[in-house]
Amino acid sequence: MIELRATAESVEQAKELITLGVDTVYVGEDEYGLRLPASLSLEEIKEITEFAHRQQKKVCVVVNAIFHNDRIETVVPYLKSLEEIGADSITVGDPGVIRLMARHEIRIPYVYDAHTIVTNARQVNFWAKRGAIGAVLARELTFGEIKAIQSQVTVPVEVQVYGATCIHHSKRPLVGNYLNFTKQERNPERELYISERKASDAHYSIYEDAHGTHIFAADDLNLMPYLGDLSEAGVAWWKLDGIFTGGDCFVSIARLFAEARQAIQEGRWTTERMESLNRQLITLHPKERSLSEGFFLKNAADVQ
Amino acid sequence: MSKIKKPELLAPAGTLEKLKIAIHYGADAVYIGGNQYGLRSRAGNFTFDEMREGVAFARRYQAKVYVAANMVTHEGDEEGAGEFFRTLQEIGIDAVIVSDPALIEICVTEAPGLPMHLSTQASAANYETLNFWHEEGLERVVLAREVSMREIKEMRRKTNVEIEAFIHGAMCISYSGRCVLSNHMSLRDANRGGCSQSCRWKYDLFEMPQPGERKSILAGDPAEDFSMSAVDLSMIRHIPELIESGVDSLKIEGRMKSIYYVSTVCNVYRQAIDAYCNDPDGYQFKQEWEDELWKVAQRELSTGFYYGIPTENDQIFGKPRKIPAYAFIGQVLAYDEHTRIATVQQRNHFEVGDEVEIYGPGFTHVRQTIEQLWDEEGNPIERAPNPLMIVKMKVSAPVKPWDMLRKATL
Repeated sequence: MIELRATAESVEQAKELITLGVDTVYVGEDEYGLRLPASLSLEEIKEITEFAHRQQKKVCVVVNAIFHNDRIETVVPYLKSLEEIGADSITVGDPGVIRLMARHEIRIPYVYDAHTIVTNARQVNFWAKRGAIGAVLARELTFGEIKAIQSQVTVPVEVQVYGATCIHHSKRPLVGNYLNFTKQERNPERELYISERKASDAHYSIYEDAHGTHIFAADDLNLMPYLGDLSEAGVAWWKLDGIFTGGDCFVSIARLFAEARQAIQEGRWTTERMESLNRQLITLHPKERSLSEGFFLKNAADVQ
Repeated sequence: MSKIKKPELLAPAGTLEKLKIAIHYGADAVYIGGNQYGLRSRAGNFTFDEMREGVAFARRYQAKVYVAANMVTHEGDEEGAGEFFRTLQEIGIDAVIVSDPALIEICVTEAPGLPMHLSTQASAANYETLNFWHEEGLERVVLAREVSMREIKEMRRKTNVEIEAFIHGAMCISYSGRCVLSNHMSLRDANRGGCSQSCRWKYDLFEMPQPGERKSILAGDPAEDFSMSAVDLSMIRHIPELIESGVDSLKIEGRMKSIYYVSTVCNVYRQAIDAYCNDPDGYQFKQEWEDELWKVAQRELSTGFYYGIPTENDQIFGKPRKIPAYAFIGQVLAYDEHTRIATVQQRNHFEVGDEVEIYGPGFTHVRQTIEQLWDEEGNPIERAPNPLMIVKMKVSAPVKPWDMLRKATL
């Protein structure tokens, strides 16, 4: 069974996503979760969880920050609240959280999500032995590598099939430092991009928050054309990330993936159907953002 | 006077020569790379035979040798790692520096008893994470470079694992391991030794009012490019606090750096650590230590995250400050105390009349003008233009083999 997993930016959007067939919604609070479309309160997470459970769907709360001493203390009551709310799972990227949960007897299943550094089946199985119910694969893997990993893992792995992907996380306020140096003030609401001085076609989203600076890949991921391959390889968890695709657009795009999944599971996945869904996706995707398959089609040997 | 636990001074050693130099200049331990599993594919890496020689040399000075095997493996990269770790163990390597759970598991099962240190690549930034890895059997954690002095002190109180912290050198601008700019911008895997240092490139920074329309917010005259490049770390002014905070190992960055750099930096920190540990109450910071570090500095220096979140002053913007420029010109091979003539291997052009500085382990310094030079056969010469040529020179005070010569170039 293929599981659709998608970020949600609000209670309303979470409900829509669940209704259209998303199996697990990702929600969280900025304090402990990285690069969320929106920071949701415990009350909102509770409402989403209750709704999801009524629909036999699940909620995964994003707790994948790199923790420093301060937050590793304040996260304990947060995790306890999540346990009370009945959150189905959390994502964890910092092993300290795993130890913390054991120490405080907080029993929430976790998905290991450490951004760039899950690139090998043995890593996935290492975390599985320590309780992880799944792991998020790095976006820098080729299809060949994903297949090799999938064939050896003991728990499901998640592959991002749509949306923006972070390629740099610094604790430094890199934009703020630049603005200070050049003595500028600017509206923090406006989205910013960087591009290489030399190869300036590609542009990369950049923003700052309490965790530091985040830079995103030039192209958002779109694996719609390769869902058949992913399914054949046995990849069970498909992730849709809506951080830069807001509101209804994201819901509509999620609907396309739900349709694709259904077609694949019912043996109705044709090139024609794929192309139709892909065309619709391209129309819905924000115009200022480009799409590609990322590292999916590369040869592993091309990356040195 | 309280008894102070002296921390280890840990230096990079890209080659066997650098290993020996680092130890001569005061390193208690060195870290090196093997031919596989490391993160410095372009650094001089050690063959097993070179490791054996390095370990034998280190033993004579009660020094330790660690091997960095800190890559984040993709499928297949881990092949042969078991044998690799077993060989390191046989050679007598004191610990491996790892971050990838795949390699950690292989090391635990295939080479049980070989001590493991968690690489900074894992970005361990809180005490629970330190305890997690300690319970996994790692005996030391190299901290994320993003932790503060205050956080380190709390980690010390709440863990029993050995703590290693960077005190000098270049730094990733990102949380280590959490940057794949290089993968995306130049198809080089940052976490497997291929980092193309994209963070140090120049960028435009802009808004997009309309798709395709770029409204640059670069400012200044001339416009200052956006860059993520960080200045380098130096904690020379804060050695007592580092020691008091209970850090077990003080680490110098730079397996790619020269013997000139490694000798100078080790020499300085050896002085500061010994000065404080020998007499904490009488300790005084010496400006000459910092001046010495500036002689080999490649960028400006800062204290990183130790005392707060780095500001624009910790990044490389604007015109770089003039850093005093010195050149490494030679290494002393021998000294004849009767004739007061030193045999020197040339590393850069120098000539009669040059003002030079000869420094050595123990922070000895001899400053003099070169008055007489001879070639290997004893013929008088005016200059030493050829790389690695052997010359003899009259020196004004005794020098020793391993001493180094530098001269100001500005």
